[in-house]
Amino acid sequence: MKQLAPLTKLVFTVAVSIWAMLLTSLPGLGLLAVAQVVTLAVCGLLGRTYKGILSLTGFAVVLILVQYALGSELEAAIAGGLRMIDMATVFVILLATTKMQSLTTALVSQCRVPQEYAFMFTTALRFIPDFLAESKAVREAQACRGYTGKGGIVRRFTSYLALVGPLVLRAVSRSETMALSLELRGFGAGRRSFSTDVGLKFRDYCTLLGMIALTAGFTAGRIVYGW
Amino acid sequence: MKAISFENFSYAYPKSGVVLEKLCFEVEQGSFTAIVGPSGAGKTTFCLAAAGVVPHYFGGRTGGTVVVQGIQTMDSTMGELAKDVALVLEDYESQLVAMTVEDEVAFGLENAGVDRKLIPQMVRETLQLVGLSGREQCEVGGLSGGQKQRLALAGALVTKPDILILDEPASALDPAGTEELYSLLGKLNEQGMTILVVEHDIAQVLPYIDQLVLLMEGRIAVAGQPEAALRKMSEESLFQEVIPPLQELRFLLEKHGCRFGAWRCEADAVRELSAVLQEAGEVSRSA
Ligand SMILES: Nc1ncnc2c1ncn2[C@@H]1O[C@H](COP(=O)(O)OP(=O)(O)OP(=O)(O)O)[C@@H](O)[C@H]1O
Ligand SMILES: [Mg+2]
Repeated sequence: MKQLAPLTKLVFTVAVSIWAMLLTSLPGLGLLAVAQVVTLAVCGLLGRTYKGILSLTGFAVVLILVQYALGSELEAAIAGGLRMIDMATVFVILLATTKMQSLTTALVSQCRVPQEYAFMFTTALRFIPDFLAESKAVREAQACRGYTGKGGIVRRFTSYLALVGPLVLRAVSRSETMALSLELRGFGAGRRSFSTDVGLKFRDYCTLLGMIALTAGFTAGRIVYGW
Repeated sequence: MKAISFENFSYAYPKSGVVLEKLCFEVEQGSFTAIVGPSGAGKTTFCLAAAGVVPHYFGGRTGGTVVVQGIQTMDSTMGELAKDVALVLEDYESQLVAMTVEDEVAFGLENAGVDRKLIPQMVRETLQLVGLSGREQCEVGGLSGGQKQRLALAGALVTKPDILILDEPASALDPAGTEELYSLLGKLNEQGMTILVVEHDIAQVLPYIDQLVLLMEGRIAVAGQPEAALRKMSEESLFQEVIPPLQELRFLLEKHGCRFGAWRCEADAVRELSAVLQEAGEVSRSA
């Protein structure tokens, strides 16, 4: 999975979503979910992702119960839950096997997504670790000045508000500097090259063909046999 | 052609008073300039103006012109200027835009459309220069302050700009790191790169610079060859805090008739001072 080009994996994501929509029978949907989990296991990624998958499953169970309680058929409710698992798991696979950088490269160079939008995505991700570090720093700074934030729910809530102010201010100024840095380093001026190779290889074409065949099969099955 | 020339340049941010006032100033090709000045004097703004960020990015009011490598910054764009000028910002952390060290350094090359096959080699060489080799795959978020500062420098250096501008590039470095940084900049300068740096620790840059500028309240208070500039700052008590103690001592001794060479580094000073002391000792013994 890791050796496939990012574009192939993007197509795979879309394909699995389509399959999840095409399939209506419980065994079919269940099999799709199992197949994905097996894929993760084969790639040796289950260890890193099982927590996510488990919480997804928990969420799906709640969803099924709610739907059932609201008066849907049990079978339809379970199918809905499975479908959600199918579609969410494929994103887990995509993100666990693809570097963000190669994903944006594929989006820009192969899917013709404007580079500004694609990079918005990566830079947004870049913010997360900084944001966490900063919220810790602000909290420490406030603690140094005798601000505790312990106590009842209301106290807790207001203490969070006190945290939000400086954080937001800092984030705004950061994003401005970052935008400035992008321009300073020639982003968006002229033709860009990409340091990661995202070209399709033989195995990508095989995988793509396989996915087309499967999709055609599922479509035919649905129309002809009413799976 | 001058590398950078400010001609009567004035600037005010959209919501500020005048920050730079009628600057006239030139940077020679291949020179090494250090800028000092109190907080709020406009040093950062000065750097931004030399890279065209001011006024292109911030807007605001301007007067006069800035010419960089023969191009008027007003008539150009930041992307265009990026080919000639690289800037390391004071806020180096926010300057970093990528997730990993390698991608961060490659970013400028990608923007310039450099062939993919050449990129890894250039990235590796540049990381080696700044002392980050072997960290290609590290996450940017996990680096220390000093490492991030080195990375910001690598990102600026990798495109081999004619002019490199650094705004307090050693603020997060330890003393050894600072020395390494300036000896690297000195080497790059010898290879022909024009360098402009904002640095308060004059003793660190003194071995390498050939021009020293004191900026105060948006005006150039002193500019010129380093020894002359320092002497003027000392005589007129301008921002005296930054004058290295050794230089102050030297000016004091010179008032008593001693004569010294340039004293670019401590070793120079030690050598000449011990010679003077020995002489003084001999005089007192023979008397
Ligand atoms: N984005 C901005 N908008 C409005 N005013 C600004 C902006 N940036 C700086 N200024 C003002 O311009 C003046 C000069 O700021 P500048 O950052 O250039 O000073 P500096 O010499 O770099 O100071 P320091 O040593 O603290 O970095 C200051 O009075 C500051 O308030
Ligand atoms: Mg500054």
